[in-house]
Amino acid sequence: MQNQDGAVADREKESAVSIPISEVDDWANFADDDIMQQQSAIHAEEAKKIPFVGDKEPLSMLAAEYESGSPILLEKIKVLDQQYAAIRRTRGDGNCFFRSFMFSYLEHILESQDRAEVDRIKGNVEECRKTLQSLGHTDFTFEDFFSLFLEQLECVLQGNEDSISQDELILRSRDQSISDYGEWFGWLVVMFFRFVTSGEIRKRSEFFEPFILGLTNATVEQFCKSSVEPMGEESDHVHITALSDALGVPIRVVYLDRSSCDIGGVSVNHHDFLPTSGDKSNAKGGGTVPVKPFITLLYRPGHYDILYPK
Amino acid sequence: MKASRARLFKEYKEVQREKTADPDIQLVCDDSNIFKWTALIKGPSETPYEGGVFQLAFAVPEQYPLQPPQVRFLTKIFHPNVHFKTGEICLDILKNAWSPAWTLQSVCRAIIALMAHPEPDSPLNCDSGNLLRSGDMRGFQSMARMYTRLAAMPKKG
Repeated sequence: MQNQDGAVADREKESAVSIPISEVDDWANFADDDIMQQQSAIHAEEAKKIPFVGDKEPLSMLAAEYESGSPILLEKIKVLDQQYAAIRRTRGDGNCFFRSFMFSYLEHILESQDRAEVDRIKGNVEECRKTLQSLGHTDFTFEDFFSLFLEQLECVLQGNEDSISQDELILRSRDQSISDYGEWFGWLVVMFFRFVTSGEIRKRSEFFEPFILGLTNATVEQFCKSSVEPMGEESDHVHITALSDALGVPIRVVYLDRSSCDIGGVSVNHHDFLPTSGDKSNAKGGGTVPVKPFITLLYRPGHYDILYPK
Repeated sequence: MKASRARLFKEYKEVQREKTADPDIQLVCDDSNIFKWTALIKGPSETPYEGGVFQLAFAVPEQYPLQPPQVRFLTKIFHPNVHFKTGEICLDILKNAWSPAWTLQSVCRAIIALMAHPEPDSPLNCDSGNLLRSGDMRGFQSMARMYTRLAAMPKKG
């Protein structure tokens, strides 16, 4: 567009390059594009503070954050400290749940070398592909994201030509890898999870509809278009349930908030999202296998980080 | 970026293959630059845009499809969500609600849907938005139809 002839294109060109303060004062020139530019500038500023995926930190670092804060939270962190060895923070850019899940899952495979689990999840990914096709998605809109995730599964398994170390996994997750994906790796994998989540919700729309109505006024279709598929839209229990079910991966979420419901002593609540088998008749009970989740996330209102059990 | 080029090429092939699938949309890629596209869309029936053919210009960023294409009307149109001078379009999927699940073709469909269902509460063209918001359907329709005749219909004689 910017190479078009004419005054209009020239003006656009100027405003697209940077946002001089003088132009911001002139609201007539302050178009949507400028707002988007400004938003991405703010995001870039945030980006300097916390990488997409941080380093492992002891829970004392978490306690330090609340030193002058709520005593209930400090008590709860003490309880957490007995069960969990470390926390790994993720950036609060609306993709934190998916990014935490991505890193935690790939790191688990890298450490466990659990080939059976890789084979199992590949089957689920294939199901997700069929789901999206049956929902009318054109293959090329999602296939790149799917193949990238499948490639990563091979990469974290050792002994292949393109096997990677944990350091490289961290670099990729921070979009700092010098591999082909470079600065887009994290975004692409997050997008894979968003496609999977959206497909699962729409495939089982009858099951998810009441939960979605509880969150917004939207229909299932609108919810997926506005709150699941776009980047940076935050995740709720609906997203977590759908992703866990679709990929067959159990997820434990530990809640760190001010609630103190227990009499005599503070305890920390958690909820296990246990995948139901693909058959929707099993959506309520019956289909769940009692497994211990190997992915544990710490939820503080509005944000997810990764927790490491002792 | 390689990925955006590959994706656009797939879209190009799809457009060639499905040329007749949607008679209301004619999407064409620039001969020398796969990041530049234009589209001709038909004004939806039972709207003041009926009978008009509107030209859209697409500029696709290198981060496509992680980032949305920039789209604007090249044909003058009187619509609450289209800037009267620049042709800029106010549509959520072209901004923060974008996702790679959209294609250039489905963006065209979304724009046709926007033509049929204006959102007067988030206007880029305030005159047009105010007519609708004040309930002056007749005023809005006659203005919109006039510009459709002037700008979007082939001149006769």
